[in-house]
Amino acid sequence: MAPSSVQTNMNRSALTNALTNCFGSGISTVPAGYGYELAISVANAEVLPPLCRFLFRDCSCSFAGIVAEELPGKWQLHYAFLALGVGWVDVILALPDGASIAPSIVTEIHAADWHEREIEDMFGICFENHPRLGDFILHDQIWREGIAPMRKRFDANQPPLERKVDLEWEPLLVVGDPGSFAMPVGPVYDGGLGEPLHFLLETVGEDVIRAVPRLFYKYRAIEKIAEGRRVEDVLLLAERFAATSAFAHSLAFCQAIERSSEVEVPERAMRLRVLIAEIERLRHHAGAIGDICASTALSVSAAHASIIEEELLRASCVFAGHRYLFGLNVPGGLSRDFEEEQCRNLLSAIDKAAKDLRVLENRLRYSSSFLDRLEDVGVVTEESARDLNLVGPIGRASAQTFDLRKACPYAGYQNYHFEIPCETEGDGYARLRVLFAEAVQSARLIHQAVDGLVPGAVHVPCDKIRSGVALGWAEAPRGAALHWVNVNDGGLVERYHAITPSFTNWLGFHVAAENFAFQDFPIILATFGLSATECDR
Amino acid sequence: MSFWFWHGLRRGIQSTVYPGRAEIAPGISPGRPVDTEFGSVDHAQHAAAICPADAIHASGSTAFVDQGKCIQCQRCRLGISPPMTWDTGFEWARLSGQQLESRVLPSAFAKSMHIMVVDTGDCGACLHEVKQLNNPFYNMHRLGFFFTATPRTADLLLIVGPGTENMRGPLLKAWEAMPGTRRVLAVGTCAISGGVFGRSFICAGGAATVLPVDFEVPGNPPPPLAILHGLLAVSSRRSVASNVPAHGKAVISQ
Amino acid sequence: MTFALGISIVVVLLTCAAGMLLSVVVGKKYVPLVIAVLGVVSSVALVFASATALIAGKSYAATLWTIDGFGQLSLRVDALSAVFLLAAGIVYFPASLFVRDFIARRLAADYPAHRFGVLYFALMASVVLILAAGDALLFLLSWECMSILCYLLINFEQKPQSDKRAGYIMLAMSEAGFLAVVVAFLLLGRTAPDLSFPSLSVAGAMLSTAGLWCVFLLGFFGFGVKAGLVPVNLWLPRSYTAAPNVFIPVFAGVTLNLGFYGIARLCADLIHAGIGTGVLALIVGSITALVGILYATTENDMKTMLGHSSIENAGIVVAGMGAFLIYRASGHPVAAAIALSASLYHMLNHSVYKTLLFQSAAYIEAETGTREMDQLGGLSRLLPGLSIVTLVGCLAISAVPPFNGFVSEWLTLQALLRSAIITSTSIRIVIALCGAILALTAALAVTCFVKAYAMNFLGRRRGAWEQRQYEHKSTGFAPVLLAIVCLLFGILPTYVLPLLNPAVEPLAGASVTKTLVPPFFTATAQNGQLPVAFLHDFHNLGAQSGKGLLPGQGLVVLLRGQDQNPVVFAMSPSYSLIALAILVLLAWFFVTRLTRKRSVARRALWAGGIPRLLPQMTYTATGFSNPVRVVFQAIFQPNIVEDTRSSVGSHFRTAILRQREETHVVDRVFLRPVRMASRWIADSLARMHHGRLNAYVAYVLAFLLLILFLSRVA
Repeated sequence: MAPSSVQTNMNRSALTNALTNCFGSGISTVPAGYGYELAISVANAEVLPPLCRFLFRDCSCSFAGIVAEELPGKWQLHYAFLALGVGWVDVILALPDGASIAPSIVTEIHAADWHEREIEDMFGICFENHPRLGDFILHDQIWREGIAPMRKRFDANQPPLERKVDLEWEPLLVVGDPGSFAMPVGPVYDGGLGEPLHFLLETVGEDVIRAVPRLFYKYRAIEKIAEGRRVEDVLLLAERFAATSAFAHSLAFCQAIERSSEVEVPERAMRLRVLIAEIERLRHHAGAIGDICASTALSVSAAHASIIEEELLRASCVFAGHRYLFGLNVPGGLSRDFEEEQCRNLLSAIDKAAKDLRVLENRLRYSSSFLDRLEDVGVVTEESARDLNLVGPIGRASAQTFDLRKACPYAGYQNYHFEIPCETEGDGYARLRVLFAEAVQSARLIHQAVDGLVPGAVHVPCDKIRSGVALGWAEAPRGAALHWVNVNDGGLVERYHAITPSFTNWLGFHVAAENFAFQDFPIILATFGLSATECDR
Repeated sequence: MSFWFWHGLRRGIQSTVYPGRAEIAPGISPGRPVDTEFGSVDHAQHAAAICPADAIHASGSTAFVDQGKCIQCQRCRLGISPPMTWDTGFEWARLSGQQLESRVLPSAFAKSMHIMVVDTGDCGACLHEVKQLNNPFYNMHRLGFFFTATPRTADLLLIVGPGTENMRGPLLKAWEAMPGTRRVLAVGTCAISGGVFGRSFICAGGAATVLPVDFEVPGNPPPPLAILHGLLAVSSRRSVASNVPAHGKAVISQ
Repeated sequence: MTFALGISIVVVLLTCAAGMLLSVVVGKKYVPLVIAVLGVVSSVALVFASATALIAGKSYAATLWTIDGFGQLSLRVDALSAVFLLAAGIVYFPASLFVRDFIARRLAADYPAHRFGVLYFALMASVVLILAAGDALLFLLSWECMSILCYLLINFEQKPQSDKRAGYIMLAMSEAGFLAVVVAFLLLGRTAPDLSFPSLSVAGAMLSTAGLWCVFLLGFFGFGVKAGLVPVNLWLPRSYTAAPNVFIPVFAGVTLNLGFYGIARLCADLIHAGIGTGVLALIVGSITALVGILYATTENDMKTMLGHSSIENAGIVVAGMGAFLIYRASGHPVAAAIALSASLYHMLNHSVYKTLLFQSAAYIEAETGTREMDQLGGLSRLLPGLSIVTLVGCLAISAVPPFNGFVSEWLTLQALLRSAIITSTSIRIVIALCGAILALTAALAVTCFVKAYAMNFLGRRRGAWEQRQYEHKSTGFAPVLLAIVCLLFGILPTYVLPLLNPAVEPLAGASVTKTLVPPFFTATAQNGQLPVAFLHDFHNLGAQSGKGLLPGQGLVVLLRGQDQNPVVFAMSPSYSLIALAILVLLAWFFVTRLTRKRSVARRALWAGGIPRLLPQMTYTATGFSNPVRVVFQAIFQPNIVEDTRSSVGSHFRTAILRQREETHVVDRVFLRPVRMASRWIADSLARMHHGRLNAYVAYVLAFLLLILFLSRVA
C-alpha cells in the first residue's frame, strides 16, 4: 500500500527539484517500479557517490540496500532509499556489460558495506575503493575465485562444485600486539543449538578487541533458485528462508506482487494480516527474551519465557493450523478465513501471554545479578546506530525510532493506535526493555485488529501480474524487511532479492561486542538476537 | 530481589504426559496429510497437481503422500476441494530410507543419550522446535536425553537443514569426531529431501547425500513431540515402522 | 678431619688458579674441556669440604698475610659458610659441564673462550674467598672483586642489541651496596681490636640499640642489593636478561646466595638483632616475594621472567630469616631454628632449580633463536628430553611434591604459622599478613610456571622461528643432573635437615634435627626417644618402614604443636613418592587390564568445525597471564597506547597496534619520590648559587659564627 499523504506530491516534487538543481544533467527521472515513488537514473558512474551522499545526509533519507540485476547487454544496480514523507526512491546505475567495476559508496554510506561485498561475490562486479572485498559469502578458504553464481550463465542445478581447503589461507587479523591471538568460535558451537556463525575473536586475553562475524554458512541461494519460477513457488521460498519471521517476509513478498497487479486487498484480509503479523512479533519477542535470560543462566526466568513462547506457538497452531504460521499469505489476501470463536480464543491466549510477560518483566527488573550482566554491556551508541543504519528493536534501543509501520504504513497500519518504544542507552538492558515494550504494543494491536474485523472476503484473485520491478516491505520482528521482485512478461520471476533486517543489523554487531570481556560475548549475542538464516538466505 | 526459586515452584509442573500416556493438548502438532482415497481420479490428480513439493502421487483414485517431501504448506487442505485427509498425531519418526533393518542404539543408551545438533542451513523452524525440547512442557531431561557441546561425547547426531555446501565440511568433521557407537537422526523435510531448497549447486538436498542417516522425522517443522518420538525411537524405547517407503517412491500402505 | 677440610679449601683455590692459567695458555679448542674438568674437580672439593664441615662438625681457620694498618687476612670455614659452600659446589658441578657443552657445541667457533675461562675461575675463587673469609677485610676485598668480575661477565658478549646499561646499573648499585656494607662493618668494628669475625661478634654484642639499628639497616639493604630485595633490586631483571647464556646459570645460582650469606653473617651472626629488625626483614621479604612473582607472571621473555622469579625466591628466603630473627629475639629458639632451617633449605633449593631453569632457557634460545614465550610452543616434540627436565624444574619451583620446592615452602609457612607463641598482638598480625602474602605468591608462582612450561613446550608452534643452521643437537647432561638433585632434595628432607643443623643450632639455640626429624628408625618403646603412644600411632601409619635398610633417623618431617594446641603437622615426601608410584602403577595396571580389548581411535581435534586450526588461534603467553595483569592493575598501572589505522572514517579498522607502557612499581613508589626529592633539594640548594658576592661573604661569615658558637658549646 502506497503511503498516502496530502503532502506527498509537494514533497516529491520538492525532492525532484532539489536533485535536479544539484546534479543537473547527471541524472534523469525514469518511470518507477511498483511500490517506488521516484526513480532516478544516473548517467555515469561518477555522479553516484555524490548523489548518494546528498540523499543520505542532506535529504535525511534512510538507505535500505543495493540490488544488482544482470540484463542482456548491461548491469543495473538499484540503490533503495526511503525519503520520509515521499516514499521509496530508486537510484539506478546502469553499467555496460563489459564493465565490471562500479564506484563504491561505502565512504559516504557505511551501511552499504555488506551490500557491495555480496554483489562482488555473487556477480563479480568490483567496487572501486571498497577496502575489503572478497571472502564474504563464498569463503576464501574453501571456494576459489571467480565463480559468481548469480550470473545468468551459471546453472543453479549443477552439482556441487569441486572444492578443496586452501592450505595457504591465513585469516586477516588486525590486532598487531605480539601477544594477541584469535579465538575461534563456531561454526558449530553452543552444542549446535546456536546457528552456524564463525567468529575469530581477536584478543590479548581479557577483552575482545575485534569481533567481526563470518556468516553465510547457511547460504542456500534462494535468489538464484527463484529465477525462472512461478510466483507461487517463489512465495514458498520467501516464506521459508527465515521461519521465525515467516509471515512478515511472506507479507512483504505478497504486497510486492499485489502492487504489481494493482489489486486492492480486502479490508478483512488486511485486518487479519495485521493480527497474524503481531502474533508473530509477540511470539518472537517472547523467544528473544527467553534467549537473553538463558544466556545469563537465569534458568527460571528462561523457563518462564519459554513457557510463554510455547503457549503462543500452540495458540498459533490452533488458530492458523501451523505453529510458525506458514502457508497463510497468498498474493491478494489470505489463504483461509477465521471464525469469531477462533478469534476470541486467540485473544484469551494473547491476553494470558501479555500478562505473563508483564509479570516476568517486573521480576527481572528486580534481579540485580541479572541486570549486572546487561547494563552497560554491548553498548551501541546512537551515532553508530545511525551511521550503520540499524533497524528493529536493536536500532530502537539506540534512539533510532525508525519503524516501517509508521514511516511507510502498509496493510492499514495507519489506522491503528500504537507507539514505537524507544530507548537511548543502547546497552543490553535497553534492548530488553524495548522487547518487552513492543510486546505490549503488539498485544494492543491484536486487540484493535480483532475488534475492528469486518465481514467480507479474505482474498481477491491476483492473476494479472504485470511485468516489471515491484517492491514490498514489512516490519518483521527483527526490523525492516524489503522484498524486491522483477517479474517478466511470462509471469515468471526474473530476479528476486530480499533485504533482511538481520543482514542490516549484523553489520553493527561488532560495534557492540568489541572492548567487552569474553564472558559478555554470548550475552551480547543473545541481546542482539539476530538470525543467521535470515541474513544468509 | 526476586525470589526465583519460589516463583519457579509456584508455576508448577508443566511437563507433558507423553510418552507415558497420550498427549491431547491443543496445538501440539499441526498434523500432516495422509494417503487419501478420493473415489475419483480427477480429484486425486488435482491433489497431486496442487502440491508444490511433488510430494503427492496419484495412483488411480488414491493420492499417496511421500512424507519425506511434504512441506506442510496446507495447499492440499485449503486450496482444493475435497481436501486431503489430515491426521492430527505426531508420532512421525521412521527408519531412514537407506536402512533395511533397525539401527537403534544398544540398550545401555536407552535412558541416557547425548545428542549433538548440527544445523546445516535450516530455516530456523526445525532448530527452534529442537530447542523447545528443553522447555518445561517437553523437558527431555526427564527422559534421559541431553544436548552436548562436543561431538566427542555424543551418541546421536541430529541434523537439521538441507545441507549447504558451506556446512558440509563442519558436518563431516562433527560426524568423524563422534566415537564409535553413533547414529544419525535427520529432522525435518529439508534434512530428508532438501525441502523447498531442493538440490542445487549449494544445497546437498538432504543429509543422506552426505552421511549415512539412520532415522528420520519428517515434517516442516516436525513439532517437538514428533522429535521426541524420534529420540525415543533411536534409543529403542519406541519402535518405528520398519517397512518404510524409500525416499522418492511411494509404496502401497498395508 | 680439619686437615682434610683445609686441604679441600686449598685445592679449590689452587684449581681456580690453575684454571685461570690454563685458560690463557691452552688452545681455544680445549678451553671448554679445561673449564669442565677443573670446574668439576673444584666443585667436588667444595662439596667434600662442606660435607666435612657439616657432617663431621669440624671448622677450619687459617691466617693468611697481614696488611699494614688494616689487620690480618684470615680464612674461617664454619657451619654457616659450609652450607653456602655446599650450595656453590652443587651448582658449579653441572654448571661447568653446561659451560663446556654450550661453548663447544652451541656457540660460534670464535667465541672468546680464553677470556671467559679466566673470568669464570676468578669468579669461583672470589666466591669461595667470600664464603671462607674469616675477617671483614678479606670479605670486603673478595666482595669487590666479585662485583667487578660479575660486571665484566655480564658485559661479556658485546652484541649490538645487548643492553649495555644493564651491567653498568648493576655495578653502580653493587658499589652503593658495598659502601653501605663497608660502613656497617666499620661501625661494628669501632670498638673491636681487629676486624676478624670473632672480634666483631664480641663487639656486636655490646652495641647500643641505635647502633644495632644502624648496622642492621646498612647491612641489610647493602647486602640486599646483591640478594635482590625491594627497593634495591631494579638491576636484577635487566642484568639477568643481558647476561650471556653461558654465564647466567652460575650468576643466578651462586651470586644471589652471596647476598643471603651476607645478611645471615652480619645480621644474624655478628649482631644479635632485635624484634623490630626481624619484623622489618619479614615485611621486606614478603613484599619482595609478591612484587617479584607478579612481574614474573606477566613477563614474556624467559630470562627476565626467571630473574623476577629469583626476586620472589629471595623474598621468601629473607622472610624466613626475618621470622628467625623475631623468634630468636622473643626467646623461642625452637621456632627460630625451624625458620632458619627453612630459609637455608630454600636457598639450597633455589640454587638448584633456578640453575636448571636457566640452563633450559639457554638451550631453548640456542635451538630456536628466540626467548619470547609468545613465539614458542610445541617444543616438547622438538626437544623431548629437555621438556621433561624443564617440567621437573617447573614443578620444583612451584612447590609441587615430591620435589624440593615443596619442602622448603612448607617449612617456611609452618614457621610463620607458629606465630601463636609470640605474645605481642601486633607482631602476630604482621606475621599473619606476611604469611598470607607468601601463600599468595606460592599460588602465583604456580600460574607463572604453568605458563612458562605450557606456552613453551606444549601446544602448537606459534611463531615463525626457524631452527638454527646446524642440525639439532641433544642437550647435555647437566640439566638432568640438576633435575635428579631436585628430586633427591625433595624426597630426602630428613637427610638434608640434619646437614643444615650445625649451621642452625649455634645461631638459633636449638637443634632442628631434634625438632623436625623424629627418630622413627632408631626409637623403640624401650629407649624412650619418643613417647610410647606417639610411637604406636605413627608405627601404625607406617612411619617405621625402611627401618633396617636406610640410615638416618626416619623419613618423616614432623612438627608438634604447643601444649595448648597439641596438633601434629607431618609430611613425608619419601613415603609420598612411594605411594604415588604405587598408585600410578596400579592405575596403569587396571587401565590396561580393563581396556585390553578396546581399540583407541585417534581422530583430529574438534575445533568447532573450522577447516584448520592455525597457530594464531591458540592461546599465547600474554593471554594466559592477562587475568593476573587485570586483577593486580593497581600495582602494574599500565598505560596502554592504542594506535588504530582505519579507512573509510572509522568504519574499517585495518590495523590496531597496542603498546603497553609500564613503570615498575618499585620505581614508581620508591625511586621516583627519591629522585624528585633529591631534585627538589638540589634545586633549593641551587638557589644559593646566584652569583652575588655579598651573599657569599655573608655565608662565610655565618658559617664562621656557627663554628665559633659550636666550639664554645662543645
